[in-house]
Parts: sequence; C-alpha cells; structure tokens
Amino acid sequence: MKKEKIRVGDISKNRDEQLLTITGEDMMSLPSPLDKGGFQQLIRPLTEEQRNDYECSLDGVSAIAIPKPKSKEEEDRLVERFLGGLRKLLSQNDNWTFWQQLLLSLESCVRCQTCGEACSIYISSGKQEIYRPTYRAEVLRRIIRKYIKKGGKFFAKVAGDDIDLNWETIARLAELAYRCTICRRCAQWCPLGSDNGLITHELRKLFSQEMGIAPREIHELGTVQQLNVGSSTGITPRALENIISFMEEDIEEKTGKKIMIPFDREGADILLLHNAGEFISWPENIEAFAILFDAANISWTLSSELVGYDAVNYGVWYDDVQLARIAIRHAEVARELKVKRISVGECGHAHKALVVVADRVLSGDLNIPRESVLPLLEDLVCNEKIKLDPKRNDFPVTLHDPCNMVRLMGIVEPQRRIVRKLCPQFREMEPHGVDNYCCGGGSGFAIMSSMNFQDWRESISGRMKLKQILEAFQDVIDPSIHKYVCAPCSNCKGQIRDLLNSHEAWDKYGILYGGLVELIVNAMVDLEKPFIEWEWR
Amino acid sequence: MGLIIIAVFYGSILFCVVASLAKLLKFAKAPLHLRWELYRGSSVYELTDWWTRPHVTSLAKMKSAALDILFLRDFYHRNRGFWYFLYLFHVGLYLLILWHLWLFICAMTIHVDAAPVWGLLWGHVATVLALIGGVGIFIKRMTDEELRAYYTPIHYVKWLFVILTLVEAFYAVQIYFDASMPAVMKYVRQQVAFEDLEMKFHPHMATAAHVLFASAWLIYLPFSHILRLFFRYYHQVRWDDVPNVRGSAVERKVEKLLSQRVGWSAPHIPHGRKWADFSSEQEQGAEE
Repeated sequence: MKKEKIRVGDISKNRDEQLLTITGEDMMSLPSPLDKGGFQQLIRPLTEEQRNDYECSLDGVSAIAIPKPKSKEEEDRLVERFLGGLRKLLSQNDNWTFWQQLLLSLESCVRCQTCGEACSIYISSGKQEIYRPTYRAEVLRRIIRKYIKKGGKFFAKVAGDDIDLNWETIARLAELAYRCTICRRCAQWCPLGSDNGLITHELRKLFSQEMGIAPREIHELGTVQQLNVGSSTGITPRALENIISFMEEDIEEKTGKKIMIPFDREGADILLLHNAGEFISWPENIEAFAILFDAANISWTLSSELVGYDAVNYGVWYDDVQLARIAIRHAEVARELKVKRISVGECGHAHKALVVVADRVLSGDLNIPRESVLPLLEDLVCNEKIKLDPKRNDFPVTLHDPCNMVRLMGIVEPQRRIVRKLCPQFREMEPHGVDNYCCGGGSGFAIMSSMNFQDWRESISGRMKLKQILEAFQDVIDPSIHKYVCAPCSNCKGQIRDLLNSHEAWDKYGILYGGLVELIVNAMVDLEKPFIEWEWR
Repeated sequence: MGLIIIAVFYGSILFCVVASLAKLLKFAKAPLHLRWELYRGSSVYELTDWWTRPHVTSLAKMKSAALDILFLRDFYHRNRGFWYFLYLFHVGLYLLILWHLWLFICAMTIHVDAAPVWGLLWGHVATVLALIGGVGIFIKRMTDEELRAYYTPIHYVKWLFVILTLVEAFYAVQIYFDASMPAVMKYVRQQVAFEDLEMKFHPHMATAAHVLFASAWLIYLPFSHILRLFFRYYHQVRWDDVPNVRGSAVERKVEKLLSQRVGWSAPHIPHGRKWADFSSEQEQGAEE
C-alpha cells in the first residue's frame, strides 16, 4: 500500500500521531550477501514510558530526548523562546558567525530538488519525504516568512505556503535537525549554492544556544565534559598518564622497540592532536603514529593539558560558543608549548573545526599554523623517508573519505597516494573523493546512542556506506580473505565499527576496519611482525 | 494612461537600481563569517606548510563562476532532465539581454535604416528559445513529482508571466512593427532620446504592454536569484575562503568581531560575555 505523501504543513498537525513510520521494506536494498532480505536492521520502537516522557512524534525515534512539556503554558513559553532564538539567528550581531551563509541558503533555493538525489539518508530511507534535504529548510523558511517577516500571515495565505508554529512543529523540527549528518553533499550538488547542511547546523544552534536543547552525548558529555575534565571521553590528565604507559609497553611488546611517547615537549615542531576516542577504542592508531614519527625522527609532542590531548570539537556540529571555547583552548595549549604548528591526527571534524572553521576565532599569538597530518604522512611514504614494503599489505583495502577532510577541506589525494603506493589490492569505493558518501555517523551521530537512535543510524544513515563497502569487496567477499576498510577518521571508524558489527561482517565476510597510519606502520620493513592484528575491535 | 505607463516604467528602473544596490550593500557589509566552504577537488591543505603557499586566485574563481553561469554546469551534471529546458530558457534569456543592449547602442549610434536584418533573426531566435524553455519548465514543474515538491502556486504564476512576456514581445516585433528592424530601432531611438513625446504619452497597446511587462520584471529583479548568485561566488562563501593570516585585514576584522558581546541566552552561555572572553584565563577569572 502506498503511503500518503507527507506535506510541509503536516509537521504542525496531529500531535498525537507519528509523522512517519519506516519499515524494512521502505529502505534501499543492499548488495550481496545482504540482498536476500533475511536481515533488515529494524528500528526498535520506544517503550511506552519513553513515549510518554519524550517527544518522538516525528518518526518514532528519539535522538535528543526532549522532555514533553507539562502544560500548555510551558508549550507557549517554549514557542516564544524558539521565536526569540530565530530572530537572533537572523540578526547580524547575534549570529555574525554564519549570518551571511544562512541568508544566502534561505533565499537561494529554487526547489529543483537536485539535492535529494545527493542525500544518502533520503535515498537509504526509500525517499521518505521528511528526510528530503529541503524539507526541514522549507519548514524553516515558511516559519520565517509567516512569523518573522512583516505581513507574513497575510502573504503565507496568498503564496500558498502556510504553516502553523506550535510546540509540535518545534519538537519535530528539533529531532529533524538530528536526521542529517551535515555531510553537505547536498550543498555540493546544489546548482544555486543553497546549503541545507548549514540550515541544519543553524537549527541545532538555535536549539542549543537559545533553548539549551542538544543531545547529551554532544553537549553535556561532549563539549562541557571536555572543557571541565579535559576530554569528551572523560579521560583526565592523570588517567592519560596510565594509558600512555600502557601504550609504550604495548609498542615494545609488538615491535621490540622502546619508544617513549613525547609529552609536553616545549619547542617541538609539531603538537599532534588526536581524537581522545583513539586512546580508549583504537590505541593502535596512536601507537602507530609514535612508531612512525620515531622512525622518521620527527620533532613532535602530545599535550597533557586539559583539552590539549583531545582534538575533538563537537561545537562545530551544534554550538558556536562551544566551538570557540574549545578552539581557543587548543590554540592556548600550542602557545604554551611554543610549538611551530598544530597537526591534527586522524579525526575528520577536528580537521575542519580547528584548521578551517575556527580560523576566524583565533587571532594574534593564538593564530598558530594548523594543518592536517595527512600531507606529512604522504611526504614520509611517497618520498621514501621510511623503508616500506607494500607486500606486507597484500590484502584487499578500500578507502573511506571522511566528509570533513575531503569535501569540506579539499584533502583528497594524500591518503590515496599512500594507499596506492602501499596496498597492492587497493580498490576505490564508488563514488569517492569529494563525491563520497558520509559514513552515517557524521555530525555527532557516531557517538549518539540514546534510546533507539543507534538503530536509526545503523539502518538508515549508515546504509549507503555499508552498501559501498560491500560493493567494493564483492569479488573477495569470502570470509577467509581478510579485508580492510581504511577510515582516517575516529568518528567514521566508530560508525563503521557499529555498521560492520551489526551485520557481523568480520565473522561472516572477513571485513575489518582501521586507520591510515596503521597501514603505513604495517608496511615498515624494520618491524618483525605485522602491525595490524586481524581481530575484531 | 500614457503618463501612468511612463511613471511605472521609469519608477521601476529607479526601484530596480536602488533596491539592487541596497541588497548588494546589505550583503557586502555583512560581517565576516566563520569559514564553512566546500571544495570541488584538491586544495592547498594537501600541502605541508600550506600557509606559505599561494591560495586560489580570484581569476580562477571567476572563470569557474563564468562557466557555471554560462552552461549551468551543476544542473547538467546533477539534474540532466531539468537542464534541457532550463538551458534553452537561459540561452534565450542571455541572447535577449545582449539583443536589447545591442539594440540600445545601435539605435543611438547608427542610422535606423542601416539596421541589419539579422538583428530580427537574433531577437526572434532568442525569444523562441526562451519560450520553448519557459513552456518546458512550466510543464515539467506541473508534471514532475520531484519538481512539484514545495513549488508554491505563486511560482507557477511567475512562469505564466514569463511566457506571456515573451509572447507579447514576439507579437510586438512581428505584428506591430511588421517584422521591420528599422521600425523597431526607430521606436527605441525615439523612446531613449525622448524624440517622440506624442508616442510616449499615447503609446500603442503592443508597446505599452511590453513596457509594463518590462517594468514588472525590473521590480522583481532585486528579489530574484541573480543577485544571490553573485554573492555565492564573489563574497567568499561557497568555495575555498580566504585564510586568516597574522597581521592581515581578515585578522583585524576577526579581532573586532570577537570584541562583540554574545547575545545568546542558553544556560551554558554567561550573560554579557564577549567572544574574546572565552580564553581559559578570562573564563577562570569570571568564575572566580
């Protein structure tokens, strides 16, 4: 039975009904061996208690756990607050950070819907209307026209784009702001340059900066914890010491080399910033950097200062104030250490946040050169500054392009030159480069697992990436052949881990994932044993 | 009646100029924003010490913009089905704009009897191309489910108006001026140079309608997408933006912006704090 089409104005109607229910049949089909329909990752319904307590009438999923208002008065207050925030969003003074891009994006859409075909979430979901990139933008445009512009209520009726603003609209819009990974593939495709990813970003800002509504994993456990404790993972400077000692022992055990990971080395050339998630989930990535830099005799250091050992800056996804706070801390740490530059390790959003976005919140002695570590890795590999043997990487490898590094920064080739040189069985995903698809964990999704949101991101937002990975390995899908998805980004690795895990892809198809530097170290000729350990992590 | 038409026409020119300038100024004076650009391929960030390397030149950006605008490249690559009619319409429109410019210049610089016959062909071909494109877009917008999404009734009215304008222009040249280029040129000369006030105050319906259609489009122009397209390219918004180098004009603007107060009200944003106050020293000082 064909579903009735959801219209823009429906977002404010039927508050007790769920706007959309997705079933496995709706979703984009997957290639072999997941094409039989035997496995369809379903989105588990929320419990009765959760449904009573939290807003979930958009699609039955709760990403940000918005409590239901207790009274009509509370609803009205929230609507007023939303409108106040919207006025600030449209004010040059309050929103100087993104005012110009927002205005251009709001005003330049011609409704050609070219962006729809670019959006992995819209396509993967079987083209559900509410996930269309222009849907939330259109809702916002109509609210602005009707409730902010003069004579809006009259013109809304004349123009035929009327919409009602009530608490239901706002609650659904808030959830909808977390059904887009801000990968900005749609913006790249838009012939007019309208950026629906930016509109999502600005909506998230309005909710966070004015109404205090943001996912707990990103705000409270993310930026707030990072600023107070030192890292979004909760690692304190003291805990860090223990982790590093463990890593040094682990390096010695694996390689026989006694390498001291440099900390707080004043005057070093490079302050290397890792996503602190690596310390906990993928220490081998940090160890690989230490082994490589030691072999290449590079002057570098890590920091043990608060925030200085965690490259993440979740502010870039939802809150300009938090973005500025964290970026300034990163620069302060580098200034104290008197390093020549900051190099960002394998973390996509940290690249974009610190090297590009935060460029305009750092000035004077905080305006320290900031770069990606990938060009340096390319220099070491391609200019043969380290002895490497590609035969050590003779297994199928594919490369995931983190959106933040590639489409959003133009770092396309260094990682490719490295894997082409070191991995004889390298194969590209299609499409790749600046046309890549998001892993489905972008803009914070990879760390968000509230209620049934993880089901949603594994079923829908990550579906396209799973399809791409399977397609890349179609000719070697036999589980006895070990395969490697190279993802030079911590959040992407987290999402790919969850995607592969939910389909038992390691056990059933022999697909493992990891970073880029691990492949380099795995090819180092002066290591007796291979560095990559073929076991699930 | 003639007086009203004159007032509307010259008023619309004035309005178009003033409103366009106001719009351009509004965007040109917009505060420097955080960088949020996209990349079409490899960038300077692929290089070590990128801050010492030359950045993308304005010339390269302008070349890219010109190709986009002339060929509607993004539509061609991403939405081919829509591109065919859209491109016909735009080619027609570009040719019509050039034709009008040529007409005004020739009317004032050459004898009207020397008006070349190919000028008529040029005008008609341009009109027909724009008309085919316009009708095609209108039909596609009505019938294609994707293109219908969020396209409100007012937009269909706009396309009807486009078609009417083109049909009327064709009628005026072909029927009223009897497909005579010298006649068209003579009329333009008389209008531009105020040589025939009688005709100005008592215009024929064909020319009056054309002038009124032109006036309506002049009033619409400042609200159209054309001006925004300009800013997409020339105001460092979409493609690789200018880095903030120490001691640069950008850095001076940044410092000024950071001295502004943060106006947002969520609990984690202290009231009255400036952006520059988010350094750890100042935040600790404020807490104490």
